[in-house]
Amino acid sequence: MKITDTIRRAGRSLRQAKARTLLTSLAIGVGAFTITLSLAGGQGGRDYTDAIVKANTDVNELVVTKKAPVSSTIQEYSNDGSATTTGTFGRTVPTIKDADIAVIQKVDGVKSVTPNYSPSVNYVTAGQKKYVAALSTFAPSVTLTYAAGSVSGDLKDSEIILTEEYASVLGFASPADAIGKTVTINATMLSTIFAVAPTTEDVAFTVKAVSSASGLAFRSQSSMLISTSEAKDIYTFVNQGTAAYGQFQLASVEVNDASKANDVKSVLEGKGFDAQTAADVLGTVNTFINVLQGILLGFGFLAVLTSIFGIINTQYISVLERTQQIGLMKALGMSARDVGRLFKYEAAWVGFLGGAIGSAFAFIVGTAANPLITKALNLGDISLIKFTPLQIVIVIAGLMLVSVGAGILPARKASRLDPIEALRTE
Amino acid sequence: MIEIKGITKTYGKKQNAFLALDNISFEIPDGTTIAIIGKSGSGKSTLMHAMSGLDRPEIGEVVIDGENILTLKQRQIDAFRASKMSFIFQSFFIQPNETCYDNVVLPLEIAEVPRGERRAKVEAALAAVELTDKIKSKAANLSGGQKQRLAIARAIVNEPKILFADEPTGNLDSTTGEVVEDFLFNYSKENNATLIVVTHDADLANKCDAQIEIVDGKIHSTKGLKKTSEGKAA
Repeated sequence: MKITDTIRRAGRSLRQAKARTLLTSLAIGVGAFTITLSLAGGQGGRDYTDAIVKANTDVNELVVTKKAPVSSTIQEYSNDGSATTTGTFGRTVPTIKDADIAVIQKVDGVKSVTPNYSPSVNYVTAGQKKYVAALSTFAPSVTLTYAAGSVSGDLKDSEIILTEEYASVLGFASPADAIGKTVTINATMLSTIFAVAPTTEDVAFTVKAVSSASGLAFRSQSSMLISTSEAKDIYTFVNQGTAAYGQFQLASVEVNDASKANDVKSVLEGKGFDAQTAADVLGTVNTFINVLQGILLGFGFLAVLTSIFGIINTQYISVLERTQQIGLMKALGMSARDVGRLFKYEAAWVGFLGGAIGSAFAFIVGTAANPLITKALNLGDISLIKFTPLQIVIVIAGLMLVSVGAGILPARKASRLDPIEALRTE
Repeated sequence: MIEIKGITKTYGKKQNAFLALDNISFEIPDGTTIAIIGKSGSGKSTLMHAMSGLDRPEIGEVVIDGENILTLKQRQIDAFRASKMSFIFQSFFIQPNETCYDNVVLPLEIAEVPRGERRAKVEAALAAVELTDKIKSKAANLSGGQKQRLAIARAIVNEPKILFADEPTGNLDSTTGEVVEDFLFNYSKENNATLIVVTHDADLANKCDAQIEIVDGKIHSTKGLKKTSEGKAA
């Protein structure tokens, strides 16, 4: 018997027992539903963290800190400036100094080292009211979403990127309205803070762009961004002459090639630094997502396991019911192998149906739930459940294989049926 | 030509052994219609199963066109049955939920007849039993006589040279039974096909060219048959 004929006959047999076929495949459908959803959720989750990391960090960038002392005992005080006591309860937090930066700079594969200049300034104003200002440095490799304007390449000195919130409080009618306007940042020299008239300076910036709130970016949401060299200038003005000047809690290290990031990391760790690559950050979050996905998948596989017994049971009953039909087909010269195939293909059909029903239902539920999840978690334009055709095809194909496996025993029973016995009606 | 040479079939083991067929031999020339008659339990159905290769007797040969089918492998016997033999049973064994077309096309699918040739063959077979207008009907909607005619269409669709009919009219009234018989004999005559009817209906048996009566697994009497070389037939 030709395989296509066998497949068609198998499908026709199932259509003649519609309710039973549907119920059996629904059992697999539950498994297919769970597996498809957990795969889509895992995919969406990983894409989401991937996008977060891409929007906030640079794959070529390592965040480097000085290694904290391993002992948790209280250390003897030293006033050589090697440690600042910014940590709580007297614990010292080691800082990165110019000498350290020189060390890092020499490591093979390092392109540049930039200490984290986060100058603390007094206020920002567009000529009217003054507002507390949060400043960060702009990194060209970090993806931003813009409400108005845009930046290609690096930010020039005296250019600034506002957030939508800043643009609004500073009195601009719309984000687009702010572009090209001037805002002023005021900073105080910390060494003169106790003088009668502390030295202050005003730095004027032209608004180059306005960043919009995104479900991905956490840096751009709160801080205005300026260029690194401008940040360094302000930092120098503010901190020069204080004990903390020239000491940084962290520095970002740019490597030549993202694939070298791990090598640089291990070299740095050998030299007394802690370094975290973008992959490390992603890895931590993804481990969490993978565990969650694993649990869901486990439930799915349990459901499939249960449905296997359903298929075996249904197919056994089907063989019993169709004893005479099997006997007749064998009498007409159908080989035992073809009879077995007929029942295996029936099982495959059941698996296909269950897989299709389950994943279609998962697709509908997932697609419907996506906007709700996005809204509830305030993710902007992110979808947490992502279906890919390949996933669905693999799920359905896998379940068909499982069903065929479950159909082997009943198929064997059918193929071994003695036609004489099967056709004995008296 | 079908030659049956000394076939013996035993059921059960040792003390419980039951001799269903005891050293049976005869020959059937091509195109003959022959009735195997006997009481139920006499062994006539077992003989039919042995002749068609469904059952394997321990001793003896079933030589069809010079080939002993009992020495063939299972797959070869299957292929042999698919291409050269067919069956009609007392209780029809048609698939009530399928259309007449799907019922009749089954032997063609089993014999792997090319798809393009199937429709014409099915239509010809249904025309031969005067069921052309029922081609799309569900088999369940047919009357008893029509069901057996459908079974005949299924049996003859692949133009077998040997047709086994096991009590073909047993479930039918005499009028419809005669119609069914006519179709069977017509097929045999028009195609020079051997028709082997297992029955205990004397009227049906008398329409056949030859008769073999089986009693307790042995040939009790024959009519219209030559004696075989073994000379076992009485």
